[in-house]
Amino acid sequence: MVEGIAEHEVTAKKVHHEELGWWRKYIFSVDHKVIGIQYGITALAFLLTGFTLMALMRWSLAYPDEPGPWWIFISGFTIMGIVVFLIGGIKRPYISLGGFIFIGIAGLVWYFTTQDSMLPVGTMLPEFYNSLGAMHGTIMVFLGIVPLAVGAFGNYVLPLQIGAPDMSFPRLNMASYWIFLVGGVLMLTSFFLPGGAAQSGWTSYPPLSVIQPGQTMWLIAMIFVITSSLLGAINFIVTTVQLRAKGMTWMRLPFFVWTQFITAFLLLLAFPALEVGAIFQLLDRVLGTSFYMSSGMVIGGEVVEIAGGGSALLWQHLFWFLAHPEVYVLILPAIGIVAEIITNNTRKPLWGYKAMVYSLIFIGFMSFTVYAHHMFITGMGSKVATWFMTTTMIISIPSIIFLAVMVFTLWGGSIRFSVPMLFALAWIPMFGIGGLTGLPLGLAPPDIHLHDTYYVIGHFHYVVAPGSIIALFAGIYYWFPKMTGKKLNDMLGKVHFWGTLIGMNLVFGPMLIQGMAGVSRRLYDGGLQYDHAQPVLFLNEWMSWGAWIIGIFQVAFIINIFLTLKKGEKVSDNVWEATTLEWSAAPSPPIAHGNFSTVPEVHRSAYEYNVPVNGRIEEFAPQNQPEEPVEAEE
Amino acid sequence: MINKFRSSVLAVILLAAFTYAFSGGTVTGTVTYKGKIPKLRKFDMAIEPVCVMKHEKDPESYPARSEALILGDGNTLGNVFVNVISGLPEKKWEIPEEPVILNQDGCTYKPHVLALMAGQPLKFLNSDGVLHNLHTLPEENDEFNVTMPKFLKETIRTFEYPEPMFRIKCDVHPWMGGFLAVMDHPFYSITDKDGIFLISGLEPGTYEVEFWHEKLGTRTETVTIEGEETKTVDFTFTRKKKK
Repeated sequence: MVEGIAEHEVTAKKVHHEELGWWRKYIFSVDHKVIGIQYGITALAFLLTGFTLMALMRWSLAYPDEPGPWWIFISGFTIMGIVVFLIGGIKRPYISLGGFIFIGIAGLVWYFTTQDSMLPVGTMLPEFYNSLGAMHGTIMVFLGIVPLAVGAFGNYVLPLQIGAPDMSFPRLNMASYWIFLVGGVLMLTSFFLPGGAAQSGWTSYPPLSVIQPGQTMWLIAMIFVITSSLLGAINFIVTTVQLRAKGMTWMRLPFFVWTQFITAFLLLLAFPALEVGAIFQLLDRVLGTSFYMSSGMVIGGEVVEIAGGGSALLWQHLFWFLAHPEVYVLILPAIGIVAEIITNNTRKPLWGYKAMVYSLIFIGFMSFTVYAHHMFITGMGSKVATWFMTTTMIISIPSIIFLAVMVFTLWGGSIRFSVPMLFALAWIPMFGIGGLTGLPLGLAPPDIHLHDTYYVIGHFHYVVAPGSIIALFAGIYYWFPKMTGKKLNDMLGKVHFWGTLIGMNLVFGPMLIQGMAGVSRRLYDGGLQYDHAQPVLFLNEWMSWGAWIIGIFQVAFIINIFLTLKKGEKVSDNVWEATTLEWSAAPSPPIAHGNFSTVPEVHRSAYEYNVPVNGRIEEFAPQNQPEEPVEAEE
Repeated sequence: MINKFRSSVLAVILLAAFTYAFSGGTVTGTVTYKGKIPKLRKFDMAIEPVCVMKHEKDPESYPARSEALILGDGNTLGNVFVNVISGLPEKKWEIPEEPVILNQDGCTYKPHVLALMAGQPLKFLNSDGVLHNLHTLPEENDEFNVTMPKFLKETIRTFEYPEPMFRIKCDVHPWMGGFLAVMDHPFYSITDKDGIFLISGLEPGTYEVEFWHEKLGTRTETVTIEGEETKTVDFTFTRKKKK
């Protein structure tokens, strides 16, 4: 029996003919494609919001204690909103409604300017800087990148690539999105509550997080977001195991599916630790328990009236048990996207597919064994530190394999420099920098010097911004024609690409230099008070301008999306001449319910580009293309 | 002697002014201290040269010391919070719109002890032009922990609920500390260095008056007011000898 036979033909046909109302079709939909797009739009809106918070912070870092030109942000977003309204008009409400995202962000910034606890006399208060920092990190990681990488791409692409009509549990899928949305909205509303938003960084270390205002809503929102991720993870695993089309064996799975499958396990096994940790912290704050508060604790010269007996370190263990695998949750789908695009645009099979799959499984397992390298300075002792240093060095091996495979795939390929390919190509050195700069942090001796400096910020931003986000942009350009039937404009795409890439390096490169000079993170004035920071202080201005340049170049991306939706020309179903099922077996966009007009059957591996068939070279052979009988030699 | 005379004249003037302004009885008096005068802790403000310079200009406050025991001539005691704790009629008292001012000046809180009514604005000033922090430690009201960078010359807060004395401190400058009380009535006074307090506008009746000092604790006295008389209640805090 062929592995991976899915018994979904009957279901697909039944769902096909079901007529759904507008609400069920577009809002409370159980269709994985609609849910994927919902996740995508929401995550992009959160990414823009999180980015904006950072753009505000960068003013304080470049020009501390000076009134900011907040009106530029407010008017800029308002204009963007109006432009989107004009593009959409009355005839295309699905575009016009997008304008509210920009108007909403303009309103948020305007609200900040009206609050004495945020931007009094137009200048940023340090505690508001802390709030912006905590919310920037939280929003970008938990409400932006993960929902886009997993919720959007995973939901949309995975069932299509395995030849499934939908996810295994469509209602659970819908519940996952709506729980996520509630969590995201709660997170944003914390800005409007007395005490403001959380101020304890995205890591929320106690005891600060237990005593600081604003943290309670962060915890409640996180519980929603985590629950949503757990529901999604179960769905992804079951779908991949149960709903693969006939002939879709494990080693024929597109690499992107593998990355989503392993990522789902990471989410499923790591997030419960943070959920428990968040509930404990909530109890410490609301009910006065002391999970994280030790006895006789003195804060600011005052003995805190608590039961005591807890340990702040417990949080660090629970948090990093999630947060290190979380790094791989951010990066593995990105690797999957880049692998799809590179192999498609080099017109070559993915070099070392099996090595990639085994590396992926290995990295997933190892990601649970390295987390305490974030805690070297907690006094864990040299023996424990040695263990975590060793595992950290070992986990770099599969990462190197990924990079090597990408480079070897490029070797000798007839490379198409399409927009998604530009992003994918840029990802290789960017992720390389992100990974290599992590090595000193994985070794206790240099980490003692670099811990909590800007070096750490530079490192992980190289991993998640030019690492994950660049790959996610690549994925958007690559699968946009699948989702809409229209291809994004190349010129605007290239403008977006170069501006983003240069801007990101302007921001994150100098962070590594500042960090090596010993400049601490989380300083609202960028280190102005410290003598040792003075020689590298000028970089703050460079970095801020780099960040704002990134923002300006996102306009090209935003306009590109809305203009293409309005005016883009219809492209062929398989615009990239790809081999995987979502391109070869389904129309663009796929059929509303069921995805495929006929249930696909898989006959070959995922990336058969320029492979010899009967003595000739086939430019590409889709997975559902039956094998030709071998012609007998005369 | 001259200082005592000056204090008495001041007291009479204040008394006359308040008697004119408010009808009702008045409780006034002088609070003094009895006991060994401890050596007050000096503050090292070297990290804030602006504050050091301010203190250098004023010989009386140089070097800067703890304000835990402010004594005038004749051991009159400052920073004593005197307030009526029982005997007042059940009613809602008018909340002044005028803000109470707490100035961060010379890296100290001026005044060191203050009181205001719930809902009355409290204006914090930053005369130093350096980064200060305002961290209140109330139990009934919402705690706040906010910074006042050099650009922020003033900020206003209010407290919602009445609450006995609680601490306010600066997390940037560990020596900076003060005390705040939030009241639900206007019958309170804080002694200056001359130890004089004055509470006016009291209706006839018997009242319990509390004297609070940050180091010497709390004592109460019972006062009966008849008509619009002025009752003088002199009070002495005696430092307990260590056993």
